[in-house]
Amino acid sequence: MFGLLALSTPPIHITSAYLFKIGPLLITNSIFYGWICSIIMCTLFIWVARRVTVHPQGGLVQFIEAGVEFIRNLVESSFEDKERSYKYVPYFVTLFFFLLMSNWLGLIPGVGESFLKGENPLFRAFTGDLNATLAVGIITMGYVYASSIRESGAKEYFGHFFIGSPLNPLYLVLGILEMFTDATRVISLSLRLFLNVTIGEIIIAVFSYLGGIVAPLTAAPFTLMELFICALQAFIFVILSVMYLAITVNHSTEEHLTDEDITETINGDAKMATS
Amino acid sequence: MLILAEVTNVAIIGKGLMIGGGLIGPALGIGLVGASYMQAVGRNPEASKFLGQALVFIAIIELMALLAFASIFIVK
Repeated sequence: MFGLLALSTPPIHITSAYLFKIGPLLITNSIFYGWICSIIMCTLFIWVARRVTVHPQGGLVQFIEAGVEFIRNLVESSFEDKERSYKYVPYFVTLFFFLLMSNWLGLIPGVGESFLKGENPLFRAFTGDLNATLAVGIITMGYVYASSIRESGAKEYFGHFFIGSPLNPLYLVLGILEMFTDATRVISLSLRLFLNVTIGEIIIAVFSYLGGIVAPLTAAPFTLMELFICALQAFIFVILSVMYLAITVNHSTEEHLTDEDITETINGDAKMATS
Repeated sequence: MLILAEVTNVAIIGKGLMIGGGLIGPALGIGLVGASYMQAVGRNPEASKFLGQALVFIAIIELMALLAFASIFIVK
């Protein structure tokens, strides 16, 4: 009996759909909702930033302060040199909150099948489009590569791909392969975020279709699971990009230890042991 | 004359194999990560602070499962 009320197939959209045109640009529902999310985020975070005080006052402000503190500790603990890490904190805090709010705002009721324009939904989660996550991935990895080159110097940065002299043909091929492996990080970062968000939406759609008349009851556990997964994916995007940055920056700080420093420490230890 | 054979969409079998084969590997991988994490915590309770790193590895493995899930939409 309940089967009659259900749709014949679950409504599944894998890609975003075109809504309207501005000049030569086709605007998709994903970027349209992304603009709305950006306005919401700017209003919220400017409102929060005005209310930050020395004495904690609770409420929403404290939650966001805790989030900022969490990412700051994460960045600080990844770098060996604490002083160097401070200038990278603002970018990663922004990235974390942007991805977190984009993911969570895509889960609220009304986004998806509720409002339709023609056959396509009017709103779609911003991160549920590969173009959006690819843009975030390219900007993040571009920032990471530029910072690594600035920290360690171009010659040293490209030198660490090669285990030996690049004139040796074997080491040259291995080094170029290593560079390609490095470049796939952009794709893996953006694909992971996009697929998690999109497949989460599909799972929610399938289970609300199976539920028929009790759709809210069957879809609720999966929506709660998605809340957790969305936060986890934003965290993982940030921690992976921090790690990619920290590996090269830590590598360049180790290089500053010359042989003389090491021999001095060894001699000092030997003197301590004999005396 | 009886028509014995019926025309079926073979792509459904392909989709089933794709989902089955694509999800069993990541499932085993996540199981191994979880087992190793619990073993490490059992031997040294201070290792419980590495839960975040275990989750990162789970996310890396999970990408394979998601790729297998996403590719069933390509098969028609």
